[in-house]
Amino acid sequence: MIELEGLTKRFGDLIAVNDVSLQIRRGEFFAVLGPNAAGKTTTIRILAGLMKPTAGRARVAGFDVQHQAIEARRRMAYVPDFPFLYERLTPWEFLRFTGQLFRMSEEEIEGSARHWATRFNLGASLSTAIESLSHGTRQRVALASALMHEPEVIVLDEPMVGLDPHHARVLKDILKEQSNRGVTIFVSTHQLSVAEEMADRIGIMHHGRMIAVGTREELRRQSGNAGALEQTFLALTAEEANLAAAGKRLGSMEREADRDGSMAVEGRH
Amino acid sequence: MGPWPWRAAIELGETMSVSERVMAAAVPVAEGTRSSLFGTLVRVNLLQTWRRLQALRHQSKLLTLLVGAFLAGYALLAFWLFSLGLRFVGSFPGLGALLVERLMYLLFAVLFVLLLFSNLVIGYTNLFRNRETTYLLAMPVSRRTIIQWKFIESMVLASWAFLFLIAPLVLAYGLHRHASWHFFAATPFLVLLFIVLPAAGGAWVSMVIARYLDRRIFQVLLLGGVLLVVGGVAFWLKAEPVVEELTETRVLEVLDRLLAKTAFTEFALLPSYWLSSGILQWSEGALSTALFYGLVLLSYTLFFGYLAMSQTGEFFHEAASRVNSRSTAFWRWSWFRAWQARRQEAHYGPGGLERVARWLGWWLGTDTRALIVKDVRLFWRDTAQWGQTLVLFALLGVYILNLRHFAHQLTNPFWIHLVSHLNLGACALNLATLTTRFIYPQFSLEGKRIWIVGMAPVGLVRVVRTKFWLATLGSLVVTLGLILLSCWMLRLPWLRVVYFAAAITIMTFTLNGLAVGLGAMYPNFKEEHPGKIVSGFGGTFCLVLSFVYIVASVVLLALGSPWPWMPTGRSPEAATELAWALFLLLSLGLGWMPLHLGLRRVMKFEL
Repeated sequence: MIELEGLTKRFGDLIAVNDVSLQIRRGEFFAVLGPNAAGKTTTIRILAGLMKPTAGRARVAGFDVQHQAIEARRRMAYVPDFPFLYERLTPWEFLRFTGQLFRMSEEEIEGSARHWATRFNLGASLSTAIESLSHGTRQRVALASALMHEPEVIVLDEPMVGLDPHHARVLKDILKEQSNRGVTIFVSTHQLSVAEEMADRIGIMHHGRMIAVGTREELRRQSGNAGALEQTFLALTAEEANLAAAGKRLGSMEREADRDGSMAVEGRH
Repeated sequence: MGPWPWRAAIELGETMSVSERVMAAAVPVAEGTRSSLFGTLVRVNLLQTWRRLQALRHQSKLLTLLVGAFLAGYALLAFWLFSLGLRFVGSFPGLGALLVERLMYLLFAVLFVLLLFSNLVIGYTNLFRNRETTYLLAMPVSRRTIIQWKFIESMVLASWAFLFLIAPLVLAYGLHRHASWHFFAATPFLVLLFIVLPAAGGAWVSMVIARYLDRRIFQVLLLGGVLLVVGGVAFWLKAEPVVEELTETRVLEVLDRLLAKTAFTEFALLPSYWLSSGILQWSEGALSTALFYGLVLLSYTLFFGYLAMSQTGEFFHEAASRVNSRSTAFWRWSWFRAWQARRQEAHYGPGGLERVARWLGWWLGTDTRALIVKDVRLFWRDTAQWGQTLVLFALLGVYILNLRHFAHQLTNPFWIHLVSHLNLGACALNLATLTTRFIYPQFSLEGKRIWIVGMAPVGLVRVVRTKFWLATLGSLVVTLGLILLSCWMLRLPWLRVVYFAAAITIMTFTLNGLAVGLGAMYPNFKEEHPGKIVSGFGGTFCLVLSFVYIVASVVLLALGSPWPWMPTGRSPEAATELAWALFLLLSLGLGWMPLHLGLRRVMKFEL
């Protein structure tokens, strides 16, 4: 349902996403973890069509997000970490507006908006201007609007930020339901508990590369650490960091050797 | 995939109230065409604008009254001044009509350039710094629809002031020419056609800038461009000395030389030429010629409007992707990459600005210096904002520099008085745009950062005071410099130089005090965009009070001038003292008082 093929994004010399290839099946709940600046948000922004990849391609429901953008977006829901909302509209009006952007019929809009407003407990705020809502309520409005059009793929960047424990639970339940219904879910998060509790597979990104992908058990085996996901994550990212540092040291030794012309370095890789 | 739960017609009961249903009806359903998506975007944004207007009305009746009075006052005053000016210029025997015509060409040519610049700045902000655009890019809305909506939105935002500005002028011109009724009906259409062209140009240039330039290169090019334009204009408009004998004997020759400098405004490929010609011809009753220019405008508008609305979607997306990627096309060159890499290298010492601040403000505390450095950095990095002010002050500078050519002809004290006081007013008005646009929203912009600034042991009062002193001293360099230059160009004696320097210094303190004070009294921590903060009650109030203050002060100072207006006249000393007393009182009331009240409000401020 989501296919990434050699996805690469460079910002000048910096490689934010480095040759990431990934296939996420229909109905799969995929969580991507990674330290800050690992390339998670950039990957998601490419997936959402907000920026072009330098190389590679991304497909959602079989549609290329660059060349068949409208078709891909029609099947996808994307909620960024700080979603944009029209401040002077009420949540009800915003839900309707979103439904119209997705060309839903009046009946569908009415039914879907009511349903998601109820699920996200927005009843009391439906006729209040969005500008006067709390951060958590705004987040719930954004999530409700994203689910309006029956997406086949849901892409969420840090969806739990700002939600209280009750509504975080509600969101987890909704996402699990959607996943069970066959909706593919791609979540970027720093909350390891979310990945641990809900994800079918977990991807770990570091320095723009997808350094590990698998179920919890597979990741444990890969890291050689039998502890909680936190330990697995730390072990994998530390290992990657050590490798990168070693590579850097080796590179500088080689450069020095080249300059001196007197030293040969063997076993480069 | 299983059926969606809400499809099974879940009976949730009537959770919608009547008012919610009424509001819901305001956003009708799209019928599944591209144009209807565009229509939905227009409707939602109109609804937002309407709510904003409603909120203003609910906020304060005084504001509605104030804005209404200000708009009506401006329209009436402008109409009166334009009528007076047209009558005066038109009264030159044999030359009046020619001069009026050239003035119209010149005015529309200048407005065309300003509109182009305004569209460029607003277009860039609206296309690449706007969260709605990012939101829409992730929605199943075609890039073409997005650019259509953003193009029209930018055009309206950039041009409404132009329409408001020229309406009294066109009305005054029509009445001056005794034009028939259809002139007043046709002119708005011509003007509406005209504004599409700078909008298309501005949108296109903004996309090119976004595609190829990063912020730093844009800043450098902007500064270089402004300097080049200012230098070019100063050189081009350099007045030629005309001996008095020549003005008496060879009037036509002198006039020819004078008009030659503005002949470019009648260049047949300038859109402003088509508009001016259409208006002028229509006012004279030459309908077929006027219609011809109208059709020229229409054809270009349709062509470029069509291009902008239908053919720029992909280029816009490419540019938006570049902006989001924070990368420029210059990366392909190794020298550029090496230069950027040097800039990226970590420097653990203080930056250049910090070192300058430490050197200049050695007596200030580290915290105060940190606030100053932060404010200067944020101002400098907001290119789109200060670019407009730079152009305004640069144009004023060009005008003042050119005064030197007239100085030796200004022997009549009346003209010296008039020009020097007008310069004072123009300088203060320019400053007022700066204080209202940039200084007023400063405290509100701290909203998102209040957790650090407000919680630091600096104290909010000192934060506001620092902003006041920084803004005042910063703007004083410009205003005092311009006034001293004006006095020098007019060859005024040193006593009069001191007089005007004192006046502009007081006015600079007052306008900054007013902006900082009102900014602290009416903070808006919700908005992130300074333009939106300014459009609230406090910002409008600040603009109106600044305008009233400047007009009142210049009139007071002019009336109470210690130097006579006429060679034989003499101002009574009492009049000077009274005028200065009133001026100082006004300055205290509109400068110190708002600042004092603002600081009091800040003292009681709850984070």
